[in-house]
Parts: sequence; structure tokens; C-alpha cells
Amino acid sequence: MDIIMECKNVTYSYPLTKKPAIKELNLKLERGKFYGVIGENGSGKTTLCAVLRGFAPSFYKGEIEGEVLVEGKKIGEYGGELAKKIGFVFQNPFTQISGVKDTVFEEVAYGLENFGVPAGEIERRVIDVMRMTDIEHLAEKSPFELSGGQMQRVALASVIVLEPDLLIIDEPTSQLDPEGTESVFAIIQKMKEKHKTIVLVEHKIDLIAEYADEVLVFKDGAMIASGDKKEILSDMSLLEQGAALPQVAILGRKLQEKGLPLSTIPVTEKQAVEVIAEALKERKR
Amino acid sequence: MEKSYIEKIQIHKTNKVAGLHPATKFLVVIMYTICTFVLSSVSLTKIDLPLLAIPWFLVVLLLCAASGALKKCLKALKAVVFIALIIFVVQTFLVPGGEVLVRFGILRICEKGLRTAVSLSFMILDIAGIFVWLFQTTENKEISRALEESGMNYKAAYVFTSTLQMINILSDNSKTIMNAQRARGVETEGNMFIRAKAFFPTLVPLVLGAVMGSEERVLTLEARGFSMQGEKTHLFNLEKSGAEGTFKAVSILITVLVVVGRIALWIL
Ligand SMILES: Nc1ncnc2c1ncn2[C@@H]1O[C@H](COP(=O)(O)OP(=O)(O)OP(=O)(O)O)[C@@H](O)[C@H]1O
Ligand SMILES: [Mg+2]
Repeated sequence: MDIIMECKNVTYSYPLTKKPAIKELNLKLERGKFYGVIGENGSGKTTLCAVLRGFAPSFYKGEIEGEVLVEGKKIGEYGGELAKKIGFVFQNPFTQISGVKDTVFEEVAYGLENFGVPAGEIERRVIDVMRMTDIEHLAEKSPFELSGGQMQRVALASVIVLEPDLLIIDEPTSQLDPEGTESVFAIIQKMKEKHKTIVLVEHKIDLIAEYADEVLVFKDGAMIASGDKKEILSDMSLLEQGAALPQVAILGRKLQEKGLPLSTIPVTEKQAVEVIAEALKERKR
Repeated sequence: MEKSYIEKIQIHKTNKVAGLHPATKFLVVIMYTICTFVLSSVSLTKIDLPLLAIPWFLVVLLLCAASGALKKCLKALKAVVFIALIIFVVQTFLVPGGEVLVRFGILRICEKGLRTAVSLSFMILDIAGIFVWLFQTTENKEISRALEESGMNYKAAYVFTSTLQMINILSDNSKTIMNAQRARGVETEGNMFIRAKAFFPTLVPLVLGAVMGSEERVLTLEARGFSMQGEKTHLFNLEKSGAEGTFKAVSILITVLVVVGRIALWIL
């Protein structure tokens, strides 16, 4: 198993708070896997992202116990270089611009300029990424004049262009309409196809059910469940813990209780259709 | 073949004055400012008015015209003239001292008042004027790049550049907020008092928005390698117009002449 990142018994508290925001977290992230993070508001999902990126405690300060390792090395030892390894995208599209560039092209190129990549290579990489994220038509617009969905795609492009191995994405679509959400997930899907390791916080559980490999469930700063998405998302006991589960999983469980012999609990709509159709056919026979 | 994006973000200017390297423009501004101070210390006429600062303003107009940006500059200069005028009037009537020159009812103009009025208002007009020339003929990104080139710390350069950007954005945002408030029935037009009343509430969302965004802004920059060690690449590069040498030489020469002339006046 190729572990890209590991948390060993990590407890983190923000400054001036007594209650830790992350409690005794043990977590191994396997290279190339897609992790969906769920949990109620205030359960520590954003804090998890900050810990995984090293912003907690380097930026937020506060106290951390335990160890966060990136490819076996302590996260604190990387310094500014961490930007090459870990990409970070967060919730609010409007604050994720450098604030010093006039055009989307320059905005996307900004990180590569900081890395000291030669100009010709920057142009090539930026154009590739703009095509992939469908923002090439915006290349000469001002980054301040974009819609939320466009801005979030620019933010994603600005991070993807750096070719990090691990992408941490915190509720990228909470401020977007369905169309914007779809365009952002199309990009995430492409990153998944490129076998990037992805940690995605998302409230829209159906999107997690569709894209993730593994699901991590948080409550009050503790990871109360983790594992394969099919297992986690069909575990009805999590409902009592305040986690949201896909409607189709709940439906599946109820049908099972009513005596419909489903082979498994579905978590996505497509699975539900298959499983239920199969069970109905079975019953007719 | 289509131009590359890197080619598209460059700034090419045909005008030799407008296209001066920002560092040269900055030298001209400094030299001009020094001359302004020296010239306004020369007193003419019976009541010692520093009149030389008045024709000296022509240099600003000349530079603007030579840069092919006279219209744009005049628009920006309007505000400067307005401020200078207010200062002139206030100083003329309010500062007492010396002989009384004119009297209208309770208002009177004193010698000292007129002297400070002329000196202050034209000094402001001259110095603000030359900065108007600098900023109207130079784009923000040229100034930022020049600062980086001059060896300024990248963090300081960032603060400077983002501030320039923010000024543009904030003025746009304040228009948006003003419009929103007008839509809610807040009066935003009319006399100064009404405008002020409408203006302050706009500041709240404006400033709050800017402050709330700043934490995430820092993290965004960090995620893009802002604090990465080592040489950075610059896609945008400054160009020279070719007239840099001439402008440097002429501005230094004039300053030297002005200073020498001033000293000669003292001694003689
Ligand atoms: N900067 C901060 N300083 C102090 N406490 C904080 C800070 N940010 C978050 N917290 C606290 O840490 C806990 C976890 O918050 P966090 O933002 O990680 O939750 P979340 O799961 O991301 O919630 P949401 O779904 O609303 O985004 C909360 O109790 C919150 O009040
Ligand atoms: Mg959050």
C-alpha cells in the first residue's frame, strides 16, 4: 500500500479554545484514492483540511499533538515547498484570487511563476489546464469579473496547474448553482482519472456517493467512521450520529425491512435502479 | 499565427515619453519635486510671493501632452485643481499677519495669507500634478514590476500591487453597493450631506468584505507557492522606449541649474 499521507494520533485545538477541533485522529491516505469527508456543521471538516495542508498550526497557530507525515516526512519540514505536493481549494470562490493579476491567464500562471518555471513551459501548462477546466474562453478576462462558478474553476485550475499529488478541496460547490456544481465535479472527475489523491469535503451526499472511493465521517472533531463508501453510506446507525446518507440508501434499507430481498444497499441512483429491478424480477419468479 | 498569451499581456507603447521605463519616470518625478520646493522658495514682487511655482506647472502639462495623454490627465487634474483652489481660498482669507491688502466687509486679505496661499496651493498643484502624469501614463502592473526589479522584497511588492488593484475593485464595489442601496430606497444623490449619509453605510459591507476575505487570501497565496524560496519567473517584462538617457540627463541638468540658480540668488 502506497501511503501518501498519514496522521498519527493527531489532536488539534485552535488558539484560546479548550475543546480540540480534531481529536485523536488516526488516518492513512492511500495514493490515488478519492476520500469523501462528511459530517454535520462544526464537526471539524475544514479543520481537518487545514491540518492536512499544515495550515493548522503553521498559520492558525494553536496546539497540535501527534504527527502529520507527508510521504513519510513531517509536514512541518517542507515549508513553502509543500505547495508543490498539496493543492488546496476552499469554499469561497471569491477570495481565492491572488489579487495582483489582471487576466485569468496570469492568475492561473501565478503559482508557476512563484515556482520559477520557465516562461515557455508556463504558457504550455496553463493552456492545457485552461482547456481541461473549460476556462480558455475567459483567459483574457479580469479574474474579478467572473461568476462564482467560473471563479471556482479558475481557482481549481490555478491549483491543478501546479500538478500536486494530493488535492484537498473544501466544499467547492456550496456557493454554486447546479450548473456550476456540475462543471466543478467534471474537473474533479478528470483529476480522479489522473489517479490524483483527493480529499473532498462535501455536503451534497449524492455527489460523494457517486465519486468517492472511501468516506470519512466526522462528528465533534472525531472521525467516527471510515472505510469503503458502500459500507459507510449504507450504515444506518450513522443517521443517528447526524451524518447525512443518500436517499437511495435509506430507501433501500426500508425496502429491505419491508421484505424486498435486495442483494445490497444501493448508494447511488444507478445502483438503486439495478438492485431494485433485480429484486423485483426475483420476486416475480 | 495567433499571438501567444504571454505576448498578449505585454505592454508595447509607441509614444517615447509614455513608454519610458517606470524607474526613469520616477526619477523625473523626484527631480521635478525637488525643483518645485526650490522654486517656491524664491520670492518675487513687493510682497514676496513665490510666483515661480505657477509657470513651473506648465512642465506637467507639457509632459502630459508629450505622452499623448493630455485629455486623460486633464480629467484627473480637475480634482487636484479643485483641492488646490479650496486651499487657496481658505488660506487667503483665514491666515492673518502682515499688511492688510484688500478688505470686503468682514473678509480681508493679508500679506501673509496671500503668500501662504500661493505657496501651498501651487506646491500641491505641481507635486500632485506630476504624480498624475506618472500614474496616468503608467499601468499598475508596470509600477509593480518596476518595484520588484528595483530589488524590493516580494512581500512588500505584493502589498503595494494588491493595494493598487484593490482601489479599483473597491470603487467598483462601492458603486455596486450604492446601486443596491438606491434600489432599497436610500437616497444617494443630492447635496454633500445626503451623499455622506448614503456613503457611510456602504463602507460597512465594503470593509467587512475586504477583511473577511483576507485570511483565505493568505492561504490561497500560500497554496500557490507565494513563500517558495528561489528565483521567480516573470511573464510580464518592462520595456524601454529609448529616451531614458535623455530624460534622465535633462531632468538632472535642470535640477542642478535650478539649485545653482537659487544658491546664486542667496549669495548675490
Ligand atoms: N479559526 C478558528 N478559531 C477557533 N475555532 C475555530 C476556528 N475555525 C473553526 N473553529 C471551531 O472548530 C470547530 C470545527 O470547525 P470546522 O470549521 O472545522 O467545521 P466544519 O466541519 O468545516 O463545519 P462546516 O460544515 O460548517 O463547514 C468548530 O467548533 C468551530 O467553532
Ligand atoms: Mg467547513
